[in-house]
Formats: sequence, C-alpha cells, structure tokens
Amino acid sequence: MTAVQDRDGIRRIEAEAAPARFARGWHCLGLIRDFADGTPHSIRAFGQKLVVFQGEDGSVNVLDAYCRHMGGDLSQGTVKGNEVACPFHDWRWGGDGRCKQIPYSRRVPLRARTAAWPTLQQDGMLFVWNDPEGNPPPADVTIPRIEGATSDEWTDWRWYYTVVDTNCREVIDNIVDMAHFFYVHGSFPTYFKTIFEGPVATQIQNGVGREDVRPPAKEGQPKLIGNTSVAAYHGPSFMIDDLTYHYDNMDLESVLINCHYPIDANSFVLQYGVIVKRSEHLPGDAAEKLAIGTGDFIRQGFEQDVEIWKNKTRIDNPLLCEEDGPVYQLRRWYEQFYVDVADVTPEMVERFEYEMDTSKPNEAWRREVEANLARRAAAEDTPAAWAAGQSV
Amino acid sequence: MAVRPDNRLLDTPMQEVTCRRCAARVEVRKGSWHQTSVQWNADALTACEERRAATAGPGPNGDFFEACASLRASIAEAATSGLIPVLDDGY
Ligand code: FES
Ligand SMILES: [Fe+2]
Repeated sequence: MTAVQDRDGIRRIEAEAAPARFARGWHCLGLIRDFADGTPHSIRAFGQKLVVFQGEDGSVNVLDAYCRHMGGDLSQGTVKGNEVACPFHDWRWGGDGRCKQIPYSRRVPLRARTAAWPTLQQDGMLFVWNDPEGNPPPADVTIPRIEGATSDEWTDWRWYYTVVDTNCREVIDNIVDMAHFFYVHGSFPTYFKTIFEGPVATQIQNGVGREDVRPPAKEGQPKLIGNTSVAAYHGPSFMIDDLTYHYDNMDLESVLINCHYPIDANSFVLQYGVIVKRSEHLPGDAAEKLAIGTGDFIRQGFEQDVEIWKNKTRIDNPLLCEEDGPVYQLRRWYEQFYVDVADVTPEMVERFEYEMDTSKPNEAWRREVEANLARRAAAEDTPAAWAAGQSV
Repeated sequence: MAVRPDNRLLDTPMQEVTCRRCAARVEVRKGSWHQTSVQWNADALTACEERRAATAGPGPNGDFFEACASLRASIAEAATSGLIPVLDDGY
C-alpha cells in the first residue's frame, strides 16, 4: 500500500490523472426537441466530435462528425432527406453510417462507412451508447421509463445544459456526500442511505426545510414540512430523482434528472431537467411556474457544486470520518463502467448498503441553524430582513 | 485505475454477520449505533427470503430492494451483544 503519511506526519493528497477511457453506458445528450430542427448539431463527447441530425423520416441519428472522404465536418453541413450532407464535397451519409450517395460520382466506393452511434429515444430524451470495446448495447442495459415525462398530468421538461471543466468523477462522488448537502446546498438531510447493486446506485434521502435559508411560510401559504427522495444512477451518467416536497396541506411531486456526458478527460456537459406533477393545488399554469422555479433552484444548487469543483483538487485518497458516506465503495461501483466487460469483478457489482448516522450531524446542524437565525435577528430584527434575504 | 482502500476500514474492518432467518452471511460494519454498512455477495442475495419476496415499488427508481428487516434485526443483535464492534457509543 502506498504511504500517504510522510515522516513529518502530514497526510499527502494523491491523485492519478483522470482516466483516458470513457464510461461504457447510455449517455443522455439532451432533449430530442433540441435536436429536431432539421439541421446538424455538433457535439463534443468522448474525446471526439459527433454530429446529431434528424432525417426527414423523423429518426435522430448520431455519427462521427468527420467525413471519411477528406475529413470535412458533417456537423457544419446540411440535412438532405434522411442523410447529412458534408459541406466540403456533398457526400451524403445515412443514419446507419453508410455513404448513400456522392452526387458528382458514378458510384460510392467500397467501405464507405463511418461510425454510427447506437441511440435510444425515450421520454423526450436522446441517449447515445458509448462502449470502448465497440459492442452494441445489451438488451438488459436500459434506462427506466419515466411515466410523468409523457403524461399530460405533468409539465414538459424544463432542461439546462452547462459545461464543467473537471473530470466527471466529481459529480458522481456527490451522491454519497451527505454533509455537502447541508454546507453547500442549504438542505438538511435527516435520513440518508445509499445502495449499490449491479449498474444502479440508489440514494434514499429525507430532509426538512432550513429556516435560516428559506423564510417560514406566511399566513395562508402552504408550509413546507420536508422532502423525501429516491434518486438513482442507472449506469455511469444518468440519474433520476423521484422527489416529493411535503407541505402541510399537499404533496408536490417532481422528477429531476441529473446527467452528464464527458467531453474529454477533464470536462463534461452537465445537464439537469425537471418535470412537476399538476394537481388541484396548482391551478392554471402554476405547475409550469413551479417547474421553472424548481429548475432555477436546481440550477443554483449545481452552480454551488460547480464553484466547489472549479477550485478543489482531484483526490484519490479522501480522508473520511465515520459520518461521511461510502466514497470508496461508490468509486469501486463506478469502476465497472471503465473496464472491459470481462474484467468487471464481483466487488464492483455486488450489493452494498450504507445507512448514514444522521444523529450527530443533525445535532450540529440544528445548532448552526439556530446560531444563524439568532445572528440575523440581532443584526436586523425586523420581518423586512426576510424579504431582503429572499431577493438575493 | 485501482480504487484505494477506505481509510475507515483499516482500523475497523467489516465483520461477518449471519441472518437469523435465512442464514445469509454478509459483512457488516457499524461506525456508530446509527451507521451500518452491509456488504452482500451473490450467495447471500440468493439466500435472503425477504429479498426473494420483494416486488418493485412505484416510480422510475422503484425497482430496488431497500433492506431486509430480518438481517437488520440480526445486525442489531450482533451489535448489542458485542459480537461486532460499534465504534462510537456516544449516541
Ligand atoms: S470531406 Fe466530406 S465530402 Fe469531401
Ligand atoms: Fe451537490
């Protein structure tokens, strides 16, 4: 084992370079509606450039962006019929990766075939399959259906994209990091359990509202009691969060997506989306407004994460206390997507449960919330302070 | 890229606990009275009766097994009887 403690007793941070290989699995590239405009879209992913285009037949296709003729960039070309036409010499490429036509030539040369990436279109989202071994997606490696996504009883997706300049392991690490939800995001977890099994990593989290972050409800307004959530990564990059906010007079159901795809070893595109279930308590376009509000709230949350990621260092040997989550076991689970299928070991996929101790953290956090409230009361001492606090 | 060992396991490793109901053997560690880690293996999963009887819950993430109550009771017993150590007894 490596020595992380020098003779001076100082622990050293260790970190190997981020892996040059990209995870095997389905990766969401975004909403289908954002690609369905009859033009080719340029995507930098998995260390390459891809082109996404919808043909006239409605199918959305993903190909290597660089044309096998003379290297033109198909994502700068045009869609003609069901094919993408290269801007350089107009060679036409079909969604199956084959060159269908060269308008100025009598025939298409042999082996005129480029890489076509397997796609999945589901619940309004476009997924692409990445496998460094080049195998097609096995039938049992899937993304679960999200009922609300296609139901009129729910809002449409509210969706966000942002580029983050760090390796995507950081975003994975966070799902077991209970304490950061208090310190970075202003939430207050009261129950927290994670389960890794096969390709799925589940986080069960209950929490209560923080009065020092969000002012108490005014008279006549619904009072937030707490939230319950079951969030799970299905594969290396796509997390569904089934999240319910509990108010004194109603439950508010939402589904959040947190997903990403790697651009290269040191950057990724982070995406998050939200749908909200309509209810009698949300008349008119109140559900849409709520989805927008929730989306903006999640955006703030991710911006808080990004701020941490921008400044922190990669660390392979985190020093954990007993009240921390299973960071190492999560990374062991995550490793299954970075090795050949034949090299996936039982430890990577065998069931592991970790139920957190929230008693000690909750005690400390309650004290901190009370101290924050007391400080604010002493400084401002009027209800107007809440309004001021709310606007920033 | 090999994942490092958990620094917490160096001092107190996981220890075997047998479920009183189905005799499944799992590895357990309690960092405190309220904290529990359970490492299963394929044999234990097959043996677990509650697991076999479990059905998927609602929602997109519903198809998971939250916990085996019998195993949980067996672990609590192992902890109170001192069969497995409990690191922090302040709570
Ligand atoms: S480089 Fe694409 S058609 Fe020539
Ligand atoms: Fe976070």
